[in-house]
Amino acid sequence: MRAIWLIAKATFHEAWRRRFLNGILVFGILIIGSSWTFTYLQPGAELKMLIDTGLGAIRFFGMLIAIFLGVRLIPDELEKQTIHTLLAKPVTRAQFMLGKFFGGVATVFANVALMGITFFIVYTIKASQFQKIAAEAEEGATYTMIFMSANIAKAIGLAFFELTVLVGIAVLASILFSWILGAIFSFFIYFVGQMADFLRELSSPEHGADPVSSIIFGVLYRILPHFEIFDIREKILMDDLVPWSLLGNITAQAIIYIVVILMIGYLVFNEREV
Amino acid sequence: MAKIYTHDLEGNPVGLIDLSLEVEEGQIFGLVGPNGSGKTTTLKLFLGLIFPTSGSGEVFGYPLGSPVYKERIGFVPEGPYFYDHLNAVELLRFYGSLFGLTGPSFQDRIEHLLRLVGMWDRRDRKVADYSRGMLQRIALAQGLINDPDIVFMDEPTAGLDPIGAIQIREVIRQIRNEGKTVFLCSHLLKEMEPLCDTVAILNHGVVCRTGTMRELLADEDSCYLATFRGLSESSLQQLQSLAVSVEQQQEDTYIGNFRDQNSAVAAAQALATGGVELLELHPHQLSLEEVFIEAVGGIPQ
Ligand SMILES: Nc1ncnc2c1ncn2[C@@H]1O[C@H](COP(=O)(O)OP(=O)(O)OP(=O)(O)O)[C@@H](O)[C@H]1O
Ligand SMILES: [Mg+2]
Repeated sequence: MRAIWLIAKATFHEAWRRRFLNGILVFGILIIGSSWTFTYLQPGAELKMLIDTGLGAIRFFGMLIAIFLGVRLIPDELEKQTIHTLLAKPVTRAQFMLGKFFGGVATVFANVALMGITFFIVYTIKASQFQKIAAEAEEGATYTMIFMSANIAKAIGLAFFELTVLVGIAVLASILFSWILGAIFSFFIYFVGQMADFLRELSSPEHGADPVSSIIFGVLYRILPHFEIFDIREKILMDDLVPWSLLGNITAQAIIYIVVILMIGYLVFNEREV
Repeated sequence: MAKIYTHDLEGNPVGLIDLSLEVEEGQIFGLVGPNGSGKTTTLKLFLGLIFPTSGSGEVFGYPLGSPVYKERIGFVPEGPYFYDHLNAVELLRFYGSLFGLTGPSFQDRIEHLLRLVGMWDRRDRKVADYSRGMLQRIALAQGLINDPDIVFMDEPTAGLDPIGAIQIREVIRQIRNEGKTVFLCSHLLKEMEPLCDTVAILNHGVVCRTGTMRELLADEDSCYLATFRGLSESSLQQLQSLAVSVEQQQEDTYIGNFRDQNSAVAAAQALATGGVELLELHPHQLSLEEVFIEAVGGIPQ
């Protein structure tokens, strides 16, 4: 435990020195902070637009950070050989890997939190004004906003869990392949995972695909993470209180996924020469 | 043990081909060999960073790679690199914490080590700004943080200024004098010769000679060398008649080669009456360099 904690802490600190990641974060915060200025594009639906862009930006920039951070966590240690002094200490490879992973997750958490806070500030300032516009607009939607901020907080929480899975995938991919290939692989998984429902459709017999590809789509549907489940923007706009049970369910799926990924990663990394 | 990475174009194995070593506790053990002979590979095997292709090894009776013996070892890597964001104190605290070290005695140990490697005055500087030699110094301190029973070192004086190198060698001797073991890899033969108790010569991945330094450097047909200064014309002739051979070194300094110690001493006494000064008297020894070059099959033309 001690080793995992210490390595995670060091990883967190090192990550903030990565200019590239800082750049993505700053860019994300700028986009989120100025998202209300684009809302004129959808007159009457400003609030929807604000939530769409804000949460969308958190997920998108969070995704970039998770992947680019995740695929460099272990290769950086191998290239700079900092891993040698670590593994020469009473640190097992499992502890090392978990330390790197949790350090990466903590970094993503901090990044998502900063973007989330930015979004909340914008939302708090602009929400009632946009709601008024929506109510006055002829065909505009009206929003009740009883549960809205609670739901937004939950959406940001889910975005974090989604990115945690993605960090795991990126770490695993960087162990299996090189970090560049790992990044490409992670992007691929992420985008295909966004379309999990589509894959299911493709695999269904009614769709009329030939049996081989329908099996392939079926397998993909089962093994790929269903990243779309983390996206609850529609529910937010409906202003249904997103129930904790749903959150718990999604989080549980994420955790199972992460455990499996880390176990595969460990099996490979334990045999790896460093 | 063997660790074969690949085979070269002619089909010869590349890496560590035949390593068979036993290191006794309480000594400075030197593993010397040309570049690419497999010194770093040997260390990586000991630390469990890579795995042998065949054979096996133990440290303190535990199989290679076991986290148990790592509590008791230290490692000073070659061309070290550390987390950039730490300063010297934080870096030692980080590595020490991995051993569960805490408290005031740990703080004292950090200060002691930083003073030992001459980094105490520069302890607030971040690793990112370190020079090559400073990295090497902090690498040594981090390798000693747990007061290890055996320290593995890969070229520990690389990149150090002369004073630094002397200090590090002094530290290495000090560790040995505390009853600890030092496993030292280097190709700096001049440095290893006065330092190591036992040496193994590694060439092309094969240990070709091992022995204590004294055994290796002992010359079969040993003779005694005496260095004299201030010889007059006549005393030079006297020396030439007493010694097996005479060699001029500097303008007024001559080295006489004697069959044994007694004849050398007798000659020195005889010459002393003529005002000749005896500068040095010692048995002729091979240098580690000579032994090494012979062991690795000469200098390629
Ligand atoms: N990861 C690797 N893959 C393939 N070959 C390797 C690898 N690491 C080392 N080698 C080869 O193994 C041999 C031994 O290398 P090693 O680094 O152990 O040498 P060394 O004695 O430490 O040399 P130096 O004095 O230059 O540090 C060399 O021929 C080297 O090219
Ligand atoms: Mg080497």
